[in-house]
Amino acid sequence: SLMGARLAGSHGVTQEPKTNPLVSVSDEPETLYKRLSILVKGHDKAVLDSYEYFAVLAAKELGISVEKVDKPPKTIERLTLLKSVHIYKKHRVQYEMRTHYMCLELKYLTSSTAAVYLEYVQRNLPEGVAMEVKKTKIEKIPEHIRKPVWDTLPPVEEKVKS
Amino acid sequence: PLSPQTRAARVRAGKGDKMVTYEQAHAPHHIGHRKGWLSLHTGNLCGEAGAAQRALEDAFLRQFLFGTFPGLLADEVVLKRRGNLLVICALLGRALPPHKLYFLLGYAETLLGHFYKCPVRLELQTVPARVPYKYL
Repeated sequence: SLMGARLAGSHGVTQEPKTNPLVSVSDEPETLYKRLSILVKGHDKAVLDSYEYFAVLAAKELGISVEKVDKPPKTIERLTLLKSVHIYKKHRVQYEMRTHYMCLELKYLTSSTAAVYLEYVQRNLPEGVAMEVKKTKIEKIPEHIRKPVWDTLPPVEEKVKS
Repeated sequence: PLSPQTRAARVRAGKGDKMVTYEQAHAPHHIGHRKGWLSLHTGNLCGEAGAAQRALEDAFLRQFLFGTFPGLLADEVVLKRRGNLLVICALLGRALPPHKLYFLLGYAETLLGHFYKCPVRLELQTVPARVPYKYL
């Protein structure tokens, strides 16, 4: 009937709670970031558009607020070279290289959230696309400028004009 | 506006017996509009370095693959660089049996990995024949 059944609350030896080796817990306060600015550069606008959709979706899933998605105008680098190997100065060839940009700005992150988001987004960066990341840190005001100077100085006696 | 005398990467009209693939039929000014890029890396972007080294590597890789798969390449090889990893995507014909193709795959991967000191992944696909886009 109940032979070999494992009844609830009947274990003799209690196991320790499992700790995930990938998760680290520390007591020191995390650095806070006011703004995380990600600039993505590429030759193909369609690739950048799909990457923008992916990055915004990832930010929403992680609960990160997106400040704005900016699309700066493209830069075109043009070269005019000689068409022939030896002479023929009047006949040239023109090449151009177009770089499209997409800037993603995220608000108010902690350092661990930023690390996780950046790692995910960078592992899935498409080929032919480059990324630059700028972080704006929030720090507490240093001790020596917390209070205004004129409050700490002794009061000056006013000179009486004769 | 292009001059009709330009000869770059164009297949001229012939008698109607020359088979031409989509890649060969379109001229270089169609890149980004009707054609894609064959080699994807960040060297040519504004503010990025290493364009010349990538171009040299691409030239060597195309010639190397043309030699290791003699007469099998159906279309141009696509090279992708993700960080350190180099991914080579090639379309081959079905003239060789699969075990020989696997040997050539491993040989190319290890040799190129040792030569360029970076992980190389070769992704092959066999097609029954080259796909014609036009007959010029």
